[in-house]
Amino acid sequence: MKYNKRMKATAIIEIVMFVMLFTVNFLPFGWGIITSLKSTNEILVFPPKFLNFNVTLDNYRQIINNGYLRTFINSVFYALSAIAIDLVLGFLAAYGFQRFRFKGKKLLFALVIAGIPLSAGSTVLLIPNYVLFSSIGFTNHWYTLVILYAAYNLPMATWIMKGGLELIPVEIEEACIIDGGSRLYILGNLLPTLCRPTLASAALFVFIGAWNEYITAAVMINKTALRSVQMSIYDFLGFFGKDWGALTAAATLAVIPTLVMFTCLGKMLVSGLTQGSVKG
Amino acid sequence: MRAAIGKRAGLMFVTPAMLLIIAVMILPLFYTFYLSLHNVDFMQLGSFLGLKNYKQVLTSPGNWMAIGRTLLVTVSATAISVVLGIVLALWVDAQKNAKYAYAIQIVSLIPWVTSMVVGALLWKWILDGELGLANYLLSLFGQKPVLFLQTYAMQSLIFVVAWRTIGYSLVMVLAGLKGFSKDYIEAAQVDGATPLQILLRIKLPILKTPIAVSMIVLSMSNFNNNIVPMTLTSGGPGETTTVISLTLYRMGFTHYTFGTASALAMILFAINAIMILIYIRVIKYEI
Repeated sequence: MKYNKRMKATAIIEIVMFVMLFTVNFLPFGWGIITSLKSTNEILVFPPKFLNFNVTLDNYRQIINNGYLRTFINSVFYALSAIAIDLVLGFLAAYGFQRFRFKGKKLLFALVIAGIPLSAGSTVLLIPNYVLFSSIGFTNHWYTLVILYAAYNLPMATWIMKGGLELIPVEIEEACIIDGGSRLYILGNLLPTLCRPTLASAALFVFIGAWNEYITAAVMINKTALRSVQMSIYDFLGFFGKDWGALTAAATLAVIPTLVMFTCLGKMLVSGLTQGSVKG
Repeated sequence: MRAAIGKRAGLMFVTPAMLLIIAVMILPLFYTFYLSLHNVDFMQLGSFLGLKNYKQVLTSPGNWMAIGRTLLVTVSATAISVVLGIVLALWVDAQKNAKYAYAIQIVSLIPWVTSMVVGALLWKWILDGELGLANYLLSLFGQKPVLFLQTYAMQSLIFVVAWRTIGYSLVMVLAGLKGFSKDYIEAAQVDGATPLQILLRIKLPILKTPIAVSMIVLSMSNFNNNIVPMTLTSGGPGETTTVISLTLYRMGFTHYTFGTASALAMILFAINAIMILIYIRVIKYEI
């Protein structure tokens, strides 16, 4: 009987903890979505309405009329280009680091590792990247953010894919060569197929990094046609001021791709994040 | 097979990626150092100043205040995030139901995968002084409205910065807990160890690496974070939440004094370099 009571108490504490975690993590999004569906008048009502309001898509219409879709498409382009570059360069580098011995390997790999936290705080690189890019005329082009996002996320992508290659025995490649397979086939087809989960994990990290980046884009780009989605959200903050309907609508649309990717590939995100923190 | 294609093959494979990394992350630092020794307004290279820019940056009291605020945000947000991450991870680890444990991980990682602009913007709306949801909830308890982003600007900033990173520390610590055999714990239980002893003597030592990695990654991320303060409070009211990354941004892109901005960037890079060296030491990798 006593035991039962204790179990009940634990269960209640656990439910309370889960509800709290869920609330704190989802409250901003849930409230953002509700706000985005309200008319300006209803947003200004206090106490706020939670469900009993008239659903309107006016805010979405407003941001789309202000060029939001264009920035959305730009960001898709930046993210996909960075993914393509990083999967190719990162996979080759992972292969070189994992399968070969060469001079300077230790130092070069240490640079890759150093690049992971360095690019996470890209503010340190903000001035260096800006002064160099502007002095060689690389700012404000369609490729500006592609190069930067590919470079920022390449260390992480390389590292994740190297982890994937570690699990594939060299003997498979040797057997393939004996059967007449070319190195091009091994690198272009066999290994990528075998490493598919790690490629997906690397791609997910590059996507999140590129899609969410704001500050580099803000200093490198000022042509309207090249703006990224995070830039447009931030600019709405200045442009619409306290028009929370438009702001939350822009935020909601920008979060959707991340959440879709994340829900499908969440497990890979977890395995990618923890690589290197638990081994040995 | 390895010998057949020669010793240079490995270098050949890594060269394209290394060129990109070096070109974007290493070379600009040299150029920045060069600029930091000059007077550079509006990207026009002026006269050679030696270390005068550094002197100017290091003798300005405002910059030291900003560094102090940055350390406050960095240390408190990292501490909150890592401590809560450990607590949540121990909780998730105790779950028998794997699906439930996975759901908790996914839920807590959502702020981490959300862009900082969006996260900070949505909290700015909730914490809004007039119409914010937080003040509505307070009013339900008969409390007067609070100007969170003015009166408690620093606390709000720390809260939002910590909020986005708790999931990260949770996942790191949990991976550490899953990575070792439960036999140790069972053996300790047989020997009569109390749960507290098991936590302090077995679990925490094994978690040293994931905790150290989380602390260093989050410290760097928080130290360099300028998007959350920029979006949430714009450094205000007054200068109360102006962290050093905001100062750096303004030196460069509001005042266009790239000489002093470069000097400050080099100083901040040196601080980051120390953290990176620690990171390379604690992270486990084989090469």
